[in-house]
Amino acid sequence: MLEVRDFTKYYGDLCAVENLSFDIDEGEFVTLLGPSGCGKSTTLHAIAGLVEPTDGQILLRGEDVTDLPPEKRNIGMAFQSTALFPHMTVRENIAFGLKMHGHDSTAVEERVEESLELVDMPDHGDHKPGELSGGQQQRVSLARALAYEPDILLLDEPLTGLDRVLREEMRGWLNRIQKEVGVTTLYVTHDQEDALSMSDTVIVLNDGHSEQIDTPERIYESPASPFVAEFVGKSTRFSGPVTREGDRAVVNNDDKAITVEGTGVEDGDDATLYVRPEDIEVSTTAAGAENEITGRVVNVANLGNRAEVTVELTDGNEALAHTNRFPDIDVGDDVHLRFDPERVIAL
Amino acid sequence: MSTSRPTVDGVTGSIGEFVEGRITNSHLALFGLGFVGVFFVLPILLLVPESLAFGTGEPLQAYRRATRGIYVDAFVRSFLYGIVTTAVTLALAYLLSYFMAFGTKRVRLTMTLVIVPLWIAYIVRYFGILLFLSPAGPFADLTGIEPSLLFTTPAVIIGLSNVYLPFAVLPIYNSLNAIDGELISASRVLGASQWRTLAAVVFPLSLPGLVAAGLIVFILAAGSFLGPAVLGGPNQTMIANEIAGAFLNNFNIRFASALAVIYSILLVGALLVFNTVFDLREVLGNI
Repeated sequence: MLEVRDFTKYYGDLCAVENLSFDIDEGEFVTLLGPSGCGKSTTLHAIAGLVEPTDGQILLRGEDVTDLPPEKRNIGMAFQSTALFPHMTVRENIAFGLKMHGHDSTAVEERVEESLELVDMPDHGDHKPGELSGGQQQRVSLARALAYEPDILLLDEPLTGLDRVLREEMRGWLNRIQKEVGVTTLYVTHDQEDALSMSDTVIVLNDGHSEQIDTPERIYESPASPFVAEFVGKSTRFSGPVTREGDRAVVNNDDKAITVEGTGVEDGDDATLYVRPEDIEVSTTAAGAENEITGRVVNVANLGNRAEVTVELTDGNEALAHTNRFPDIDVGDDVHLRFDPERVIAL
Repeated sequence: MSTSRPTVDGVTGSIGEFVEGRITNSHLALFGLGFVGVFFVLPILLLVPESLAFGTGEPLQAYRRATRGIYVDAFVRSFLYGIVTTAVTLALAYLLSYFMAFGTKRVRLTMTLVIVPLWIAYIVRYFGILLFLSPAGPFADLTGIEPSLLFTTPAVIIGLSNVYLPFAVLPIYNSLNAIDGELISASRVLGASQWRTLAAVVFPLSLPGLVAAGLIVFILAAGSFLGPAVLGGPNQTMIANEIAGAFLNNFNIRFASALAVIYSILLVGALLVFNTVFDLREVLGNI
């Protein structure tokens, strides 16, 4: 459906994206995830034709569109700022793309009404964008982008300006619309929750190159690099030299020895280990288990449905663990942390 | 340490207390409004009784003369020159502003080049154009246009457009520069070519600045005195030149006042018509 081949973009001497390649299948929801300045927006704009690649190719439905201007590409796009035309009504905004795509006036009228229905705003056609709330504006922006049935829908951080509650609601809504319409979608965000909760495939970008292209589950459970492990989700980090013992490996981290199940690290390597906070058990009593380390609680953050406990380890580093809601643990308590060797991510 | 003498803090404090509650922000406005009232509104109102000549002969005598022959021509010419100058200036200013907003990174340099002419007295600039257009000047040499443009309507329009261009560039540039780049991107992705984007998105969004610029330039141009005086001939006389002639050459204060009153009424009338098309309050908000 969409193929990006060795896409490279320089701004002067500054490299924004280097040799980025990926494919998107028909109907797939793919997310470009990365911190600001990682090149995700540049990539999206290049696909739209708004940024000229320094090198590489962009193919849409097998056709090379690299040198086509944006208006010749049949792409739908929603922007972070919504980019609704302030001097036009909602109806005129949606009609704009239809007219530009050569639909006649009766078809335009019909499609506008259908699009307003699709985004649950049938009564807002005559409003100006300025009279709508942020969430409503994003819905109109999506209706406008989908009205002329584009080959691919590009979403440039459309939820970033919204507050947390609305954002979570919009995620589910956006996913439903995308499945309903069946449109191939490329979503750009710096928000890992957006990426993990909505996508079929996540492309993690860092400093202009892709770190990992995988399902959300694999991105979280089996990150391919320290960058992915640290950018997606929270974790406690250990590092040290590896001693291989059959199926297992032991990593000597200062005064602790941490056992890791499975392959991935070799004898003599220096390994970096990550343990997710939900995989660490906090206890005030020792159990003498494998991978049991001790420390002192420095913070307990109650998050409602769970608590996040920060523990200072004997070597001065900090570990992060999740517990049940409102745990019977206080700052200053000496605690034992335990985690399963199978749940250790070794890189 | 306590002392019975007032400290520095105490003095400023008591002045502050005295001032506080007595002078508010709206009092500050009185200085400006008072100045305008005393030196603008009152003098203009004085023209009305001056023009009517109570007790000495026929009261409307000056008005009768002012609405005949060459004076009607001068009124018509003022409005026509005002309209033509506005059209020429807006077209040039729009191109320049568009370049500044979308075509260059050197906005400050370009803006400075636009503003610098304002530091030079009008009279100097008009004399410069006079020399440039004179029969022996560079314009005649370069273009071979005979006879010289000097003392013709095009010369006056060139001079006025040149002098009022900066006043048009500022509001137009402001409104173009305020257009979010993503709107232009959105228009292109939605299928509009560059030209369609200009016509359907950029131009309508810059309209407030364009209208504001048009209003300023028209008012300035229609009331021009120096431009037609330096660059025009007897057939390019505008109303300000007639008023000045009556007032300064013939000392006919009554007649000059009548011309001024008529001109003011026509201008206000024009603004009222303008207001029915474009909301003046909105336009003034864009200046």
